[in-house]
Amino acid sequence: MRPVRVAWTFLRLGAINELQYRLNFFVAAFQSLLAVAVALVVLRLVYSHTTELNGWSEPELMCVLGIQILLGGVIRAAIQPNMERIVDEVRDGKLDHALTKPEDSQLLVSVREFRIWRTVDVISGGAVLGVGLARLEASVGAGEALSFAGLLLVGGVLIYCFWLVLATGAFWIVHMWFLAELFEGVYATGRWPIGIYPGWLRYSLTWLIPIGFAITVPAEAVTSRLEWTTPLLALAFAAALFLVTRWFWRFGLRRYSGASA
Amino acid sequence: MAAVDVSELTKVFRVPEREAGLRASMRALFQRRHRDVRAVDSISFAIGGGEVVGFLGPNGAGKTTTLKMLSGLLYPTAGEARVLGFVPSRRERDFLRQITLVMGNRNQLQWDLPALDSFELNRAIYRVAREDFRRLRDELIELLDVGDLVRKPVRNLSLGERMKVEIVGSLVHRPQVLFLDEPTIGLDVTMQKRIRSFVAEYNRRYEATVLLTSHYMADVEALCRRVIVIHHGRILFDGPLTQLGSQFAGYKTIEVALANGAADLSRYGDVLERDADRVKLRVEKADASRVTALLLSEQEVIDLTIEDPPIEDVIELVFAEASE
Repeated sequence: MRPVRVAWTFLRLGAINELQYRLNFFVAAFQSLLAVAVALVVLRLVYSHTTELNGWSEPELMCVLGIQILLGGVIRAAIQPNMERIVDEVRDGKLDHALTKPEDSQLLVSVREFRIWRTVDVISGGAVLGVGLARLEASVGAGEALSFAGLLLVGGVLIYCFWLVLATGAFWIVHMWFLAELFEGVYATGRWPIGIYPGWLRYSLTWLIPIGFAITVPAEAVTSRLEWTTPLLALAFAAALFLVTRWFWRFGLRRYSGASA
Repeated sequence: MAAVDVSELTKVFRVPEREAGLRASMRALFQRRHRDVRAVDSISFAIGGGEVVGFLGPNGAGKTTTLKMLSGLLYPTAGEARVLGFVPSRRERDFLRQITLVMGNRNQLQWDLPALDSFELNRAIYRVAREDFRRLRDELIELLDVGDLVRKPVRNLSLGERMKVEIVGSLVHRPQVLFLDEPTIGLDVTMQKRIRSFVAEYNRRYEATVLLTSHYMADVEALCRRVIVIHHGRILFDGPLTQLGSQFAGYKTIEVALANGAADLSRYGDVLERDADRVKLRVEKADASRVTALLLSEQEVIDLTIEDPPIEDVIELVFAEASE
């Protein structure tokens, strides 16, 4: 598996790089704990006034929150840094080095950065998910666990595609500094099941910015709410978006001119 | 088959344009104006395998754009380029595995890690067998004498040291075609020499083709027998470096040492320099032999040399002529 090997080589290098800076770990851990604590307090506050929110109980929403934090960790460790680097390198012409390598350019630009300390969010998100599941007192069967893992992967692919489409925009729009803030803001909406949002927002968060697919759908898998058509739809959507993203990346590359040319 | 074959290659950039000032900026928000810039304008040349060719031109002449088209980074607007038989813009793996692009002002090594880690990364990307990689890497490290540098984080290296390890990293896959864009820019003279002799040695050892751009004529004189001069995207000259002077410079310099150092030689030609008993004269190329004969017969000459003008002066002359 060539792409996996290339990704692994970069991941290893990224880990070596980050392991030099232990302080970053403590900063990341503190940030993560603080974010989890605030989110849990908000959740408690909401459920001190009600017992369910659009059919979701507090432990179920803890699962959604756990998945949102966990996936957020994956995004901040592996997706976002790569996408931000693309934007920077398109602007100052440094993408040259990636493009003269005998490797698929999309693969290469997608795996070059890895922030190992951000994976603390994966652990804290996993812990919140675990507590939520324990409080549900419902046993998660092997089938549910498997579809959860698969749907989480599909969710990761969807978010990656979304980010890459935005980053590819740098071939046309030179200054895209607002991307990270924009994404962070929208991603925060994934803390709640998309069903609670009004129609237009629900559709936007499903099809336009696929946060619904990435977070709520895996949560449905572990809370026994999943309809059998949903995973198929998620998979088909991810495959289609991946193909579109690939085409868009290649289309954007044709516009690349480098900075000094 | 030529290693590099370029035919009518053209690159036009569409650049936004507006006047200075706030009002113009506001207007540009609604009404964009663009201008087409022909960075490379229908150039053709061929470079044989193992040749080292200097690519000369002032800033903005189209050198880097050409190199970027040849390394597959830019899509040509028109014309055709082939490198080792491949069309660069298709960026096929077999093509990219055989070339390298070194840019003097850019760094591709991992900033916070020792260069050895970046070399290993390149090994994985270029799929070089571990044994071959180690052999070539150690050979390059020895050639550039960077054994004690490759274990230090790149950020702790000086500019020259960084360039040397950068070159090692760019060559660990043993490319057959080297595109070197200002590889010695900003380096001190000793470091420039070291890199020059390294490029010459790499070319000799592996019969690699080298296309080099540099603002330092010493680089070009030391490495390239052939030069291509480009200006405003067009080729002004393509031929042996030695012919550049005779084609473009209409004069020669005569340096003469006299027994009577104080003699006035202004009637023989333009006096460029006078240093004790030595005088440097500039004379029309066609007059050189006649003036020499006159000097020898009329003055008490101790020593006399006739030379083409320095290559820097010729290049300056070429660009000045082309701009007129």
